[in-house]
Amino acid sequence: MDKDQHIIEEFTRGEYKEGFVTEVEQELIPKGLNEEIIRLISRRKEEPAWLLEFRLDAFRKWQKMEEPSWAHLDLPRIDYQDIIYYAAPRQDKDRPKEIDPALAETFEKLGIPLHEREALAGVVAVDAVFDSVSVKTTFRQTLEEKGIIFCSFSEAVREHPELVRKYLASVVPASDNYFAALNSAVFSDGSFCYIPKGVRCPMELSSYFRINARGTGQFERTLIVADEGSYVSYMEGCTAPMRDEQQLHAAVVEIVVEKDADVKYSTVQNWYPGDAEGRGGILNLVTKRGLCKGSGSHLSWTQVETGSAITWKYPSTILKGDYSASEFYSVAVTNHHQQADTGTKMIHLGRGTRSRIVSKGISAGQSQNSYRGLVRMAPGALQARNYSQCDSLLVGSACGAHTFPDIQSSCPGAVVEHEATTSKISEDQLFYCAQRGIAPEEAVGLIVNGYAREVLSRLPMEFAVEAQKLLQVSLEGAVG
Amino acid sequence: MGHGKYLDPIPAEKQVVTVGSGERLEFSYVILPGESRELDLVIDLVGEGAEVDVKCLYLSRNGDRVRIRILVHHRAPGCHSHQLVCGIAATGADVRFDGRIVVAPGAQQTEAYQENHNILLSEGARVETLPSLEIYADDVKCSHGATVGQLDADALFYMRSRGISEAEAKRLQMLSFLSPVIPAGREEEVTAALFSLPS
Repeated sequence: MDKDQHIIEEFTRGEYKEGFVTEVEQELIPKGLNEEIIRLISRRKEEPAWLLEFRLDAFRKWQKMEEPSWAHLDLPRIDYQDIIYYAAPRQDKDRPKEIDPALAETFEKLGIPLHEREALAGVVAVDAVFDSVSVKTTFRQTLEEKGIIFCSFSEAVREHPELVRKYLASVVPASDNYFAALNSAVFSDGSFCYIPKGVRCPMELSSYFRINARGTGQFERTLIVADEGSYVSYMEGCTAPMRDEQQLHAAVVEIVVEKDADVKYSTVQNWYPGDAEGRGGILNLVTKRGLCKGSGSHLSWTQVETGSAITWKYPSTILKGDYSASEFYSVAVTNHHQQADTGTKMIHLGRGTRSRIVSKGISAGQSQNSYRGLVRMAPGALQARNYSQCDSLLVGSACGAHTFPDIQSSCPGAVVEHEATTSKISEDQLFYCAQRGIAPEEAVGLIVNGYAREVLSRLPMEFAVEAQKLLQVSLEGAVG
Repeated sequence: MGHGKYLDPIPAEKQVVTVGSGERLEFSYVILPGESRELDLVIDLVGEGAEVDVKCLYLSRNGDRVRIRILVHHRAPGCHSHQLVCGIAATGADVRFDGRIVVAPGAQQTEAYQENHNILLSEGARVETLPSLEIYADDVKCSHGATVGQLDADALFYMRSRGISEAEAKRLQMLSFLSPVIPAGREEEVTAALFSLPS
């Protein structure tokens, strides 16, 4: 019995293996949020005047806005004056070219390859973001040969201001919503990616976000532009240390897909979810949106959400170009006291546009898991089609699973179909597994993976294995 | 503030239909062209094994504003509910269906189903549907389905090729689409109403 207890304890402690803290010298700015702080961030980053103006404008708009309360979440009061908006690992003056060994080790431990020679030939190019700054972008040379720009946002502002200026806030305007406005005011770094006309990106591009410093928030911004006829597959991962305090993460992702271009965006979100009693964790309040600008463009979202104390996230697509298409595949797992309100929006404007939504929610413990979605058919969306399927799986009787779709159609030539189901893992299924010598915990893992397979199979290979393991870990202790 | 945990979804002052243990409620509602209606129905299943069957039909045209709001609250275990809402919107109609199923903690062995099907007959009509599920118990079978579409061109062609006029073929298809929600005894009234929709 004692031994059992020990094993269980080990389990719960070992649950979040990315929960360590890296000891590096940090450069922090004072707590709080005001125009002076924004000027300070902008100065630190040596930004041009237009960008500072953009930030200040967003900040003024944000001050007039109210935190949204429509989501099915118990959002704690966030004191925006109690957050440090900029934290960067101090640069070693003696060898500015190289990455701090402590940081390299951190990413090593997280399994993110920052040394090009170590990675398999042409697998993944990584932009690693540590707190507020990008510490390294790999494979830049290889990509540059093809004309692809993949760098940190700050570098893009310095080296390709015309591109950044053209596309920044063109999909998510600064005043889009409360958290997007906050991000626009204080965003620190993120990734920028531009794929030129007709180029097929030879490797997966990846951003890895790591929160490390205490009392800070992370506000990164990702901008992806796929020019005519290009293709890119983009992956995003994230982790944070285990702490009792909650930390804020408010990011913005903008994707512009030009005529006949194809973008695949995959996320494995594994922010610290808080402990079993619901203490700590990341508040993940994110705005992601893509614009299928040209005809025949295609954008696919795949997300596996296992982390964060609170998730508020709706990756959306505006289908503007005729015959453009978009998909949203999502698995969201909540356990213990986690809360998730996530889904998508598909706005059909062009004729013949198509979208498909597959959402799989899994709730366990005392968690609340909601799908919220919008499908809109504008009057011009002739022959447009949407199909949505939202399933919820309940594990345990104290959790909740909710579905809030909104379907709007003003086009008699468009077809929208939506279905949702809610069920639990049946006793029969568990009994069947038990008969074959599979323990309940393992059986749940099997069933959940089978349930989520339609989504998992859409992930790039590098992510799929990790995601499967994560699902298993996230549900540990949920049954039995 | 937030509503992460379950809250009683029914405001105190609201008029409610309560269905007790072993009772069965059948409810039908028909909205015909030229009628702007607001239906606000709250059904509270308070006794074990209660059953509810809701059928709702709308036919709307220019100037009609239809709001259908149905809340089915499963408060007790072992209750079953079925909802079926079907309708056709022609030019100038503005229709909104807001259907909510809430399964309270402890309301195990619940079965709750909801379906909403809409046809947009012509341009300038607007339909919005918000079918939501809020579930706080685990041993449940719940589903909802919603569609917004148009008359089936293949079916129309089939009938046309057998000598049925276009207008008649459309009416036949609309009638078959609506037939599951037409209350007994009102077939003629609904059929007649189809003639008043602009074709």
